[in-house]
Amino acid sequence: MLFFSYFKDLVGQEVTVELKNDLAIRGTLHSVDQYLNIKLENTRVVDQDKFPHMLSVRNCFIRGSVVRYVQLPPDGVDVDLLHDAARREARGG
Amino acid sequence: MVVGGLREFALRRSGDGSPALDESNGEELMHVQPSVAVALGSRSVESPGTLYITSRKLIWLSDVDVAKGYAVDFLSISLHAVSRDPQTYSSPCIYTQIEVVEDDEDDTESAGVLELSKIREMRLVPSDATQLDTLFDVFCECAELNPEPVEEEEEESGHNWVFSADQMVVGGGGEEDAEWQISQSPTSVIGHSNGGDESIAQPMLELRINDQRFDDAEEMVHESETKDH
Repeated sequence: MLFFSYFKDLVGQEVTVELKNDLAIRGTLHSVDQYLNIKLENTRVVDQDKFPHMLSVRNCFIRGSVVRYVQLPPDGVDVDLLHDAARREARGG
Repeated sequence: MVVGGLREFALRRSGDGSPALDESNGEELMHVQPSVAVALGSRSVESPGTLYITSRKLIWLSDVDVAKGYAVDFLSISLHAVSRDPQTYSSPCIYTQIEVVEDDEDDTESAGVLELSKIREMRLVPSDATQLDTLFDVFCECAELNPEPVEEEEEESGHNWVFSADQMVVGGGGEEDAEWQISQSPTSVIGHSNGGDESIAQPMLELRINDQRFDDAEEMVHESETKDH
């Protein structure tokens, strides 16, 4: 549940979601759920060549299982905190 | 259950023509939207039809051709969105992307036959555009009902991840605190829990007589005193 909690704190921030099919979508993180399904607002496609039909999409829902990366705002991450939290969670503590 | 993207679907109930569902597996109908046209890939729109949204999948059935229908599992729908820009598509619609397992770089049509399983984009165009937000919400709900199936593995404790070097040293030599280290890998555990009750948490990693943990407590001043060996 660590990343679910982490992403909940990022709601309202700009992120870029890169899918496993190479599509990259930038938008404002509207919400996230326990499966890391992501809803974005004000979305625009980063690379318009592969999926030009998507340009007009304002809001979208992205299935968590197709996400490859979520690119975060640089000041949105405390790497050490995240690192420690991840270790703690995996150890069952 | 084979999940493979868009496929043909023509199983209808004889009474009302609605699609036959897998009720024994808990599939239920969530929403019906009449007067919906469907556009697969870059093909032109097909209509008239009815959209049936179940807890497992999305089914479009033609209103005029009982043999024509399409279905795709929510497990295969990578994303969905409301599309309203007339420059990108003439009608407001629900835009979906379908996850396709690429085995080769075939076109969606080979030898003139439409290869449904290769369709990567599908638009659903309701004649009533005010229904788009409702449809978007139903899609969200159903997507949430269909998370990735969890493989058979222990939920909390079985992950076998290694995080740092100190997990690799059995016996934990040189650590500051006297805490027991719990091995993430059950196979390295030698030993016995008290009273045979396996819910007691902490098996010993290794039983070594000369381990510092068996040394006398720090309050003992004379370390040369006889120890229990």
